[in-house]
Amino acid sequence: MWDGIFAGLDTAIAPFNILMVVVGCFSGTFIGMLPGLGPISAVALMIPITYGLDPASGIILMAGVYYGAVFGGSTSSILINAPGCASTVVTAFDGYPMAQKGQAGKALALAAYCSFTGGTIGALILLVAAPALATVSLSFQSSDYFALMVLGLSAVAAFSGKGQVLKALAMTIFGLMVATVGTDAISGIPRFTFGNLDLIDGISFLLLAMATFALAEVVMSVLKSEHKLEEAPMDMSALGSMKLTKEEVKHVAPTAARSSLFGFLVGVLPGAGATIAAFLAYGIERNLSPRAIKEKFGKGALRGLAAPEAANNAASTGSFVPLLTLGIPGSGTTAIMLGALIAYGIQPGPRLFVDNPEVFWSVIISMYFGNVVLLVLNLPLIPYISRLLIIPRPILIPLILFFSITGVYLVSFNSFDIELMVLITVIALFLRLLNFPMAPMLLGFILGGMLENNLSRALIISDGSLAFLWQRPLTALIMSFAILALVLPIVGRFFGWRRMEGKADMNVVDQGEG
Amino acid sequence: MTLTKDHIGGLLFLALSVVYGYYAYEIRMFPGDQFEPFNAQTIPRALAWVGSIVAILMLATGSRSATERLSFAGLDVKLVAKLMLLVWIFAQALSWLGFLLSTIGFLLVGYWLLGERRPRTLLLASVPFAVGFWFLLAKLLDIYLAPGQVWQWL
Repeated sequence: MWDGIFAGLDTAIAPFNILMVVVGCFSGTFIGMLPGLGPISAVALMIPITYGLDPASGIILMAGVYYGAVFGGSTSSILINAPGCASTVVTAFDGYPMAQKGQAGKALALAAYCSFTGGTIGALILLVAAPALATVSLSFQSSDYFALMVLGLSAVAAFSGKGQVLKALAMTIFGLMVATVGTDAISGIPRFTFGNLDLIDGISFLLLAMATFALAEVVMSVLKSEHKLEEAPMDMSALGSMKLTKEEVKHVAPTAARSSLFGFLVGVLPGAGATIAAFLAYGIERNLSPRAIKEKFGKGALRGLAAPEAANNAASTGSFVPLLTLGIPGSGTTAIMLGALIAYGIQPGPRLFVDNPEVFWSVIISMYFGNVVLLVLNLPLIPYISRLLIIPRPILIPLILFFSITGVYLVSFNSFDIELMVLITVIALFLRLLNFPMAPMLLGFILGGMLENNLSRALIISDGSLAFLWQRPLTALIMSFAILALVLPIVGRFFGWRRMEGKADMNVVDQGEG
Repeated sequence: MTLTKDHIGGLLFLALSVVYGYYAYEIRMFPGDQFEPFNAQTIPRALAWVGSIVAILMLATGSRSATERLSFAGLDVKLVAKLMLLVWIFAQALSWLGFLLSTIGFLLVGYWLLGERRPRTLLLASVPFAVGFWFLLAKLLDIYLAPGQVWQWL
């Protein structure tokens, strides 16, 4: 393990890779600050750039963008009450009231420190948990993988929020259907190509990610005429002090530690992600606080800001555990990273730890560097980065559209891909209007090929019998979790268990979820 | 009966699953593949069935509240249609006019559609950007960008 850590450290401290962390954090912060564009879009926009890099640098850049986008989302939540992504919606509950009281600087600093705490604790647990899980998962067979993928996909539906379970499930199936377009990898037979040669290779995941997130989110803002709205002016001179007193640090330290641990655990669950971690951590912290502090929640409570910030960053780190060790993404953003890794020819999963230790460890180590960059460089530079937001929307939107389109075009040099993007964007817009979440579709699409491969292997080994689902104890255990994940929310709704989730509106999960 | 978003979604998904299922059964296979435990039709057929069941569940359990009706009021559908058309034209222009001219045109029209009318801003935000981006790709990164068929004819 130590050899791997040193190899990863060697890769992570290469000047070019440190530059990638810095560039990633900066561009992520900027994109994350734009309301509507979340970490998924930010990472998707980076994919074409990463194709020209080696796998470790590419993934390091994407991880930097991920953190930066979550941090940028917090910044716009605090300064203008416009969360850049769903996972920072809760940040605005107490962050914005603080800014209104003239404590914007303090709120930003607290958010950065808590993000740093969450990220650090998350990275440390990841350092221990990921290799342990990877070692265990080396003994997994194709039937276990099939069951794990079913669990991953059903968990996405289970965590999708009130009234959304069936819609998320439908979108997952839709993603799996889209994944079957093109030549069947096992038999070599074309499926659903309708004689179109451009569809023989299937639909590229980059195209689908760009069309359903980057393009659809921007076009959605046009559809809602948000581009005509004037951005609330940010008075950078009124930021106030960025210093926290000793008492304030003492006051929030236990909250940050608790929420980090909790956030990490929620992040590890496939499909849960940073948004649910932030909402739940906020709720838990409010319930744990004494009455006097509880009443301050929503009016600028320090703990109310610390809890979601620590939790969402720790959850972002936690979502890398299933990605790196099992090859199953824990969130929409890690799903995109999984697609990028596969495009590099790297198969994430337990073998990644053995076959590409430099990628495995450099990603984990650079996550920590990313947190340091956010704290040391981004925080003091926030007033300057925010100035980029004064670019008028009528100029910014065509530029984002252009980057999304050319990002796909420059990989294939096929204008058919752009036409297909238009079609998919229109479908995605309509589905968004019908309140269908997009992340499950992407997850289904990315896992579709692997799911089919593992099922075919398991079925051939068991001579066509489905008994492999219950004959092997591990497969049976994972399958029962998958069934529970699907059945519990539906049964729970009948018994009103959902009320326990409090006021937190989980439906935001589908909006720019990380 | 009120047709809500859930019902429209359910109906659409049911239609998709049925059409997908029809074509799933039409997937050609090698002789004897139908006797194999797993073939090219296995997953598509399963997806079509599961999709149909989920769609029926959506229709059965969908919200019946009148507030859940699909409404396009207040949505600028025309502008989005124009933007999407612009992207489609950009795709055609890339092979006819080449990357540089298509990009300049796309950005100019895009800014214009979204309400920017100042000629100076329109030009400054499109021409230098497109030239700079083209220079970065074609000259610095050495990526081949086809010049466009029109220029080859001239």
